[in-house]
Amino acid sequence: MQQGKIATDALVIGGGIAGLQAALDLADQGFRVLIVEREPSIGGKMIALSKVFPTLDCSSCICTPRMAAAAHHENISILTYCEVQQVDPAGDGFTARILKKPRYVDEVVCTGCRLCEYACPVNVAHEFEGELVARKAIYVPFSNAIPQVAMVDLDNCLLCGRCEKECPPGAIDFFQEPEEVTVEAGTVIIATGFEMTHMEAKPEYGLGRLRNVLNPLQVERLLAPHGPYGRVLRPSDGKVPDTIAYIQCAGSRDHTLGVPYCSRVCCMYAIKQAMLLSGSLPLVEVTIYYMDIRAFGKGFEQFYQNAKAMGIEFVKAKVAKITEDEQQNPVVRIEVIEEDGRVEERAHDMVVLSLGIVPAGHADGVLPASRAEDGFFLAAEPKLAPCRTDHEGVFVAGTAAGPKDIPDSIVEGGAAALEAAAHLRRNGRSPGRDMNARQESTQGTLAQQAN
Amino acid sequence: MSTRVDPDLRREVARFGADDLDKCINCGNCTAVCSLSEGNTVFPRKTIRYLQLGLKEKLLQSPEPWLCYYCGECSDTCPRDANPGETMMALRRWATAQYDRSGHAAKFYTSAKRLWMAIFLRAMIPLVLLALFHAITGFKWIVTDHVELNTFAPVMWVWLAVVIHFIFLGYRVMSGSLTMSRHVLGASSQPFNLPFVVYLSELKTFLLHFFTQKRWRECGEQHHRRWLEHMFFVSGYLIMLLLVVGLLGWFQTDKIYPIYHPQRWLGYYATVALLYGSISMFVGRIRKRDQIHKFSDLTDWLFPGFLFVGALTGILLHIFRYADWPWPTYVMYVIHVMAMVAMLDVEVGIGKWAHMIYRPLAMYLVRLRERSEELALAAGAATPAAN
Repeated sequence: MQQGKIATDALVIGGGIAGLQAALDLADQGFRVLIVEREPSIGGKMIALSKVFPTLDCSSCICTPRMAAAAHHENISILTYCEVQQVDPAGDGFTARILKKPRYVDEVVCTGCRLCEYACPVNVAHEFEGELVARKAIYVPFSNAIPQVAMVDLDNCLLCGRCEKECPPGAIDFFQEPEEVTVEAGTVIIATGFEMTHMEAKPEYGLGRLRNVLNPLQVERLLAPHGPYGRVLRPSDGKVPDTIAYIQCAGSRDHTLGVPYCSRVCCMYAIKQAMLLSGSLPLVEVTIYYMDIRAFGKGFEQFYQNAKAMGIEFVKAKVAKITEDEQQNPVVRIEVIEEDGRVEERAHDMVVLSLGIVPAGHADGVLPASRAEDGFFLAAEPKLAPCRTDHEGVFVAGTAAGPKDIPDSIVEGGAAALEAAAHLRRNGRSPGRDMNARQESTQGTLAQQAN
Repeated sequence: MSTRVDPDLRREVARFGADDLDKCINCGNCTAVCSLSEGNTVFPRKTIRYLQLGLKEKLLQSPEPWLCYYCGECSDTCPRDANPGETMMALRRWATAQYDRSGHAAKFYTSAKRLWMAIFLRAMIPLVLLALFHAITGFKWIVTDHVELNTFAPVMWVWLAVVIHFIFLGYRVMSGSLTMSRHVLGASSQPFNLPFVVYLSELKTFLLHFFTQKRWRECGEQHHRRWLEHMFFVSGYLIMLLLVVGLLGWFQTDKIYPIYHPQRWLGYYATVALLYGSISMFVGRIRKRDQIHKFSDLTDWLFPGFLFVGALTGILLHIFRYADWPWPTYVMYVIHVMAMVAMLDVEVGIGKWAHMIYRPLAMYLVRLRERSEELALAAGAATPAAN
């Protein structure tokens, strides 16, 4: 195993929107920042979204510039496709052990031309596109991924060598090995983000078993202009859906799932998707089955009222189970509470489960900060210093600290950066060149910065 | 129609076991997940809502608690962990106490001390009666060189006592049933004037469900096995009831019949069924694997306990009699009778055994309500100008 060593002021774990914001805010003050991202590209969950609530801005259009700004920043280095294995306090800073997983493609040499993809004969379900379409066994993660570098999915690769023959700069290297990188940093910002609720515990909703029951990230891809089909079709037979149902609290506020809390964003993203679906399919009927609608943020209530005015139907009912009829239409079973309380089974062309937010990330003890029972990182002072963990010099931002939406994650990214900068200054680390003028950085690839 | 709200209702019902009421947010998952919820009888949410709001009248008018067979799916899937299935169970206990005019049911369900006291006192009745009998006869009726059970406890007198006891129990069950019927049928918005023949013809619903409890099967495939076990157990119970109440003169005898005689194998069959039933109930309650067994109340434990004691003392009595040991036989006989008298008195109509009558009765009453609505609808259709 190769060894490498990086010294930096701040280590940001997670390259989603919260981590990017924290990194940019620190780097602009002149501190050196290393972002470690477990996925092959930075951008987190946000880069996969179509539009964001309640403004309906294009998500790519506001997320990609942030990604590019971080990638091109003079003070920011980025390690993608890396696992943080252990972070320990060392002196007045921290030492982190990081495993850089092999891409089997030389990051410095690869130009992202994608000729390898065209040569590869293997088709595999595309994770980024919600497994609605296929990718190749060698692929660039997605069209606006940063870095634009291919990687080999060795589990599915036939080792036929066609890509190697096609690659113009000869970047493919099947002998690449995992690399261990040791990082010395003055402060750590945890921005490890979230995953959607795991639905194995709720088999009565049939996610993964019923083909026309989708998770919300799949619908984001269906709605994205550069998504899998370029239009909204249901997966089983490519039919344009006439009726679509949303099931709220499908993965939150449910003791049987071990997720008793509210995930805060599901009401709004369901309403947003309902509006976008109504936009792309003018004849579609969208029904949202809910327990309560929680439209608490700025502009949210108006957004909800607009959705109602658009004709989106809101039905108060907790869906008990989803089955399928002969046409593979999902059938939801509900009690019609607002009428006479009868039990009804209603068929829809497509059903979306409004899944909740559960913490993503590391096993206990990997990062030097405590987590609450629900798995989110604890704030030492939840009211006065929500970004400060119970370990001095370790800060948390975004959904790693609890469910929240994009603006709140960005606010926390900034707040964590400010706290981290103060911590660095207290420990005698002074910023290098102040980047407030934010000069264009043109030299060097990501990999060179990292090494 | 005015609606009276009883703010103390929740606390009252909580004494019977439902204490998760505050968790419920009325999302309706329980009703939608229930495979028995259909037509005009949807539960548990609506029933629980009445309880939350303190609508005592509405609750008394609801046959729904008796239509639930406690498969536990609602509690398993309740997003709030509010245990709707157990609330329905508590409502059944509460309703039983409401139907019971003697007030015994309420006391037994809410105070373990009173329940044990009642069991002790009821058990003493046969002991005292038998002691009196032998004291009066100067203990000359106790034959000790060989077993003569019918001299120790003459079957005709015992039979008479059993019949008197069952008349008393029957009165209790009838009175409870009438109270329930009055409440449930009184809920109809239409005046209730069904022809008498409908009451009679719908009795088939009652009988069908009384003997088969077949609605339980609709809870789903996974409950068929337990339903079958329950059928086996009930068959043993009913046979034993028939042998003791209807045929005691034939059943309690000093004559030893050959093994192929129905007196022998009917008794054996019933004993095996009761023993199996009570043990499987015990095992389930100890394991607590199924939702229905998670919250066993004292009254839930007593029920298989009594049956087990009854079956066990019955078996020992049988063995001692066939071995021709007079004193062990007499002592075991007294213990057996004491246990069974106490059991019948605290269970039939007011305890766990209330469901035997109230479940099929609820289905009968629902049918009557449906017939009444059909009739009203037909009448309305015939005279559209009446409004």
